[in-house]
Amino acid sequence: MGQDQIDHILDRYVGQDGALIQLLLDLQQELNWVPKEAVQRITERLQIPLSQVYRVASFYNSISLELRGRHTISVCLGTACQVRNGPRVMDRITEVLGINPGETTADMRFTLERVNCLGCCALGPVMVVDGQYHGRVLPAKAEEILQGYD
Amino acid sequence: MNEVVLEIDGKEVRAVEGMTILEAARSAAIDIPSLCYHRALTPYGGCRLCTVEICNEGRSRMVTSCVYPVAEGLVVKTRSDAVVRDRKMLIELMLAQAPGARVIQDLAAEYGVSETRFEVEDPENLCILCGLCARVCEERVGASAINFVGRGVKRRVETPFQLTSDVDFDVCLACGSCASVCPTGAIKLEDITAKKPVPLSSEFEMGLGTRAPVYIPFPQAVPKVAALDRNRCLHFATGQCAICQEFCEPGAIDFSQEDEIVELEVGAVIVASGFDLFDVSGLTEYGYGKIENVITAMEFERLTAASGPTMGELRRPSDGRVPGNVAFIQCVGSRDINNKAYCSAVCCMHATKEAILASEHHPGTKSTIFYMDMRAVGKRYQEYVERAKTEYDVTYIRGRPGEVAMDRETGNPIVWYTDTATGETKMCETELVVLCQALSPSNGVAELADLLDIRLDADGFVSTPEKPFRPVDTTRHGIFACGCAHGPRDIPDSVIQASAAAARAAEVLTDS
Amino acid sequence: MSGVKSRADLEKLRRAILSGRDFAKPCISVCAGTGCLALGCKKVIAALRDEVQKQGLEGRVEVKETGCPGFCEKGTVVVVYPQGICYLKVTPDDAAEVVSQTVNAGKAIDHLLYTDPVSGQKAIHEHEIPFYQKQMRFLLGNNSRIDPKNIDDYIALGGYDALAKALFQMSPEGVIEEVRRSGLRGRGGGGFPAARKWQTVRDAKDGPKYVVVNCDEGDPGAFMDRALMEGNPHSVLEGLAIAAYALGAHEGFIYVRAEYPLAVENAAVAIQQAENYGLLGDNILGSGFGFRVKIQRGAGAFVSGESSALMTAIEGRVGEPRPKYVHTSERGVWGRPTCLNNVETLANVPIIINRGADWYAEIGTEGSKGTKIFSLVGKVNNTGLVEVPMGISLRDIVFGIGGGIPGGKEFKAVQTGGPSGGCIPERLLDSGVDFDELGSLGSMMGSGGMIVMDEDTCMVDTARYFLDFLADESCGKCTPCREGIRQMLSILNGICEGRGKDGDIELLQELSVAIRETSLCALGATAPNPVLTTIQYFRDEYEAHIRDRRCPAHVCRELISYYIDPARCQACLICLKNCPAEAISGGKDRIHVIDQSRCTRCGNCLDLCPTRFAAVRKMSGQPVPPSLPEEDRLLVRSEE
Repeated sequence: MGQDQIDHILDRYVGQDGALIQLLLDLQQELNWVPKEAVQRITERLQIPLSQVYRVASFYNSISLELRGRHTISVCLGTACQVRNGPRVMDRITEVLGINPGETTADMRFTLERVNCLGCCALGPVMVVDGQYHGRVLPAKAEEILQGYD
Repeated sequence: MNEVVLEIDGKEVRAVEGMTILEAARSAAIDIPSLCYHRALTPYGGCRLCTVEICNEGRSRMVTSCVYPVAEGLVVKTRSDAVVRDRKMLIELMLAQAPGARVIQDLAAEYGVSETRFEVEDPENLCILCGLCARVCEERVGASAINFVGRGVKRRVETPFQLTSDVDFDVCLACGSCASVCPTGAIKLEDITAKKPVPLSSEFEMGLGTRAPVYIPFPQAVPKVAALDRNRCLHFATGQCAICQEFCEPGAIDFSQEDEIVELEVGAVIVASGFDLFDVSGLTEYGYGKIENVITAMEFERLTAASGPTMGELRRPSDGRVPGNVAFIQCVGSRDINNKAYCSAVCCMHATKEAILASEHHPGTKSTIFYMDMRAVGKRYQEYVERAKTEYDVTYIRGRPGEVAMDRETGNPIVWYTDTATGETKMCETELVVLCQALSPSNGVAELADLLDIRLDADGFVSTPEKPFRPVDTTRHGIFACGCAHGPRDIPDSVIQASAAAARAAEVLTDS
Repeated sequence: MSGVKSRADLEKLRRAILSGRDFAKPCISVCAGTGCLALGCKKVIAALRDEVQKQGLEGRVEVKETGCPGFCEKGTVVVVYPQGICYLKVTPDDAAEVVSQTVNAGKAIDHLLYTDPVSGQKAIHEHEIPFYQKQMRFLLGNNSRIDPKNIDDYIALGGYDALAKALFQMSPEGVIEEVRRSGLRGRGGGGFPAARKWQTVRDAKDGPKYVVVNCDEGDPGAFMDRALMEGNPHSVLEGLAIAAYALGAHEGFIYVRAEYPLAVENAAVAIQQAENYGLLGDNILGSGFGFRVKIQRGAGAFVSGESSALMTAIEGRVGEPRPKYVHTSERGVWGRPTCLNNVETLANVPIIINRGADWYAEIGTEGSKGTKIFSLVGKVNNTGLVEVPMGISLRDIVFGIGGGIPGGKEFKAVQTGGPSGGCIPERLLDSGVDFDELGSLGSMMGSGGMIVMDEDTCMVDTARYFLDFLADESCGKCTPCREGIRQMLSILNGICEGRGKDGDIELLQELSVAIRETSLCALGATAPNPVLTTIQYFRDEYEAHIRDRRCPAHVCRELISYYIDPARCQACLICLKNCPAEAISGGKDRIHVIDQSRCTRCGNCLDLCPTRFAAVRKMSGQPVPPSLPEEDRLLVRSEE
């Protein structure tokens, strides 16, 4: 990932008003995080003060200012999933991986996130790994699913 | 702008359309507390302390007065039971958030909140997230060095990536605006930048005090008009701020002002360029600049002035203590073949005055004046000196000190002198030394003389060669000098000469 | 594809599409909504396509990926047309049978049909299934027939006719009047009369004007808007275009939350296809009215779903709510008059225009007209999306449609209105779902999330859960919300962890008043609702936690213990081997005993103990019985 890749994404938005959030989402999508260099480049090319870019990036859950693991696990803890024992799934994963929601494993394999509702409420508890949805996940099943990722 | 009449706490208040309730209330001297509001910033509506109750068509609701616009016939209650109840709860919450913040403690005392029933997560925390720091930096300073970060209970104010200084991120100007608007003292500049803020030294206060970029030099200044220091003004640096211009009611501030060149045809010129002070740091034997408690007479004047940096308390530089004794050294630079050969005329009297002043401000403070000759030549001047000796316990020692040393432990200066009365060489330990420095010709008088084509004398003062009969005439017809422009003299003499110069000028004008 | 340049052209297009379709041709519609995606519908679709090919039916049988039909509990849902046979819980292994038996031979497959849990009776068609019988599916009903990525499906069913009617037969004021007479109220939670909002924006002097669709749907437990936007995006686009025409806007935004990538995708495809047909763009249907739509993605913040915050987010700034005294209908996006409506609100608009306000106003109650989609989830047998007429009772929804509580458990409460709402107990279940009635119970309709809770749900923990959610999602700008929620959460954590004290309940109530009255936006102002309603209706649970250190539902970890009943334990070793804290001692014939000092109360042992033994149970509020002495732990099995 270099300056070029970042610039390529920024090219889509230079000159547009109010594009900061969409731009950050694109960066997140393509780079799996928003590195410091990207934040700086946004300031340079879009003339938005650095602290404001940083503020926007830090406000939103979908934008990560820290390097993420190779695989992102999102465990839903929306009300429906909560009622259907979603917390037990989260507990099992935190136990197995040794990290808390918001953290990444030391070997950069997984980043674990808590999400407040993915909209699959009828099938709780729901877990998403790398965009792949899994419904009706039991704690043991969650562990099994994760073993399939390296 | 339309006038709007509303009712606040039963009182009729006249406001202007577009004002907020808070602005209207404050203009009518009705106090509504607020923490995140600042006149020079767009209203934020974050702390919610300024919540008031408004009643409209029989229904009442709570609104934040810093944001809510006035309306004709609006009825506002700033201290109804509901408002006070809610305010107390907000204060209780803030007490848990920032228990050490003085301004919150004061509010708690005012509203009878004796303690907080809530959990204190961080007893050291002072930040109440009012946002004033971030907002002033963005809206007025134009640097946006700090901003809010995160969300919800994790919201905080930080520099991006928590860096205090980095080649790429160094946007902080170290202006200190954030720290000065912070209501709780939570902002520490060193957390934001490694740069140290440079306080603006006040020239009038002899560097002992500070001033703002917009300032009136001193209370008795003529003209008493504020000046704007272009080199230290934020607006000139970043194009932002301009708060002064916004709030100046008569609209007197004009950033585009430039020097004006005016041509006047005149029949007479009076040079009244005054004097400047001799720089005593060259006289290394007295230790000025090295020994903290050696000051000049002018600095002494500022320290004892009621409007000065210490509000009239004579506090010595090293430790801020009031000295129990003071030593004045006369003829510093004057009557000195190596510096100024002439006598500066005023120092004997002002030293006497200062010695008396020290005693009046701090009874018990004794002074010693080391002199060569006492030049008390005006009306009742000699009697004044005698009073100093008898009523104010001022000691006069004839002898010119050779050196001022220092006691390292106490910071006390030690004056070495020869008492010419007894012939002994002695040492006098004192707590403060005041150097009565010579008067020199005004800086720039040489260029002025060139311009006016008048001569200066050997000492650099304007030459008035025809005294005693034409004491204020310079070497050029029609140009006159008065006051210290042509030599050291005191106030009465300067005033007399001013009249004389005016008379001479009038004479010349009526001639032609 | 040449543009459709007039109303007549649209009609021609529709006829062309219809004539190109053979209604006798079999079509296997598979739900491809996010829910069924989670259940593996992609594999089902692939298997079906495979089978179609294998059985030589390529081109003669269509496999269509459609939107969500709502019966999520029984996903993957497949409907076979033209018969309309409804199959539930379809797996890839069933593909062969579906194609050969149903498609080819026209026979229904028993084991894939709905079976009534009591009578055992089968239901073949959707309308025979009890889950659907009490519903009135005007909004969701077409989902099984529409491939959201194919605009022709929508047009074939009459789509965009309402827009044409509005543009050519009605004035903008006329459209607003029609919506006003229908009584349509906002479906996002506020329940504000839609026509009144449109009128205010129409009357605003400034311009240009904007219309915005709020597809942020942040309420946890709600996914109605997702199903509409994913499954039938054109219904929303059409409603949006009609709204734009009514109030004079030419630019619109669809704000979709980041967590709905499929909705973003389908909306983008829909916009593109509508533009291709001239149904969106500079001169819609040749009427002279121009309207363009842009998609804005959310980035993961619940608070940004609040209307003024959403508009700020569209401007690219931090999505924090604005003070309410300046109405966004006068100063919204970029300070211009903006109308923001919920997805479901807009989806109702074409129906109202097509069928008329009078027809619409017949449905529902005096104050709440039309249907409402609810996401019925949690501890209920039939989870999914239900679309019902306003006024239907909660009992009818939970028991009549939802089929009651699974596992024979007792109903305890139904939570409506998301984090702004409240929990409604059993004795109030006969209340009708109506904006005002639910409000009078201390809750609110909200966006439509309806979470059913049973005896195993702790209401104090539920209140704590909502506060935890809000502590993270609050923007944090104002003191009462940020600090108030922080402290309410701290008190509730204390109660759930056994540190509650007398006076905690009163303190929560006192704090709630200030939070309600001084918060900047509705997130803060309604944050106390879950706490207050649970205190109101379930105070006994709070008091048990505080006074007896007991959690009646056996949920709060610090207040429960796990205990293996020695009389039932058969020493099968399963729990022992799987205890992550290695807290269980025992052996092959030795009764298993939990060491309470090591137990982390993860619940694994309870999950794993075979149901025929059911030896593990939870206890609360009393000490665990002393363990059997070592020598008595030898298990003696009875002779068979």
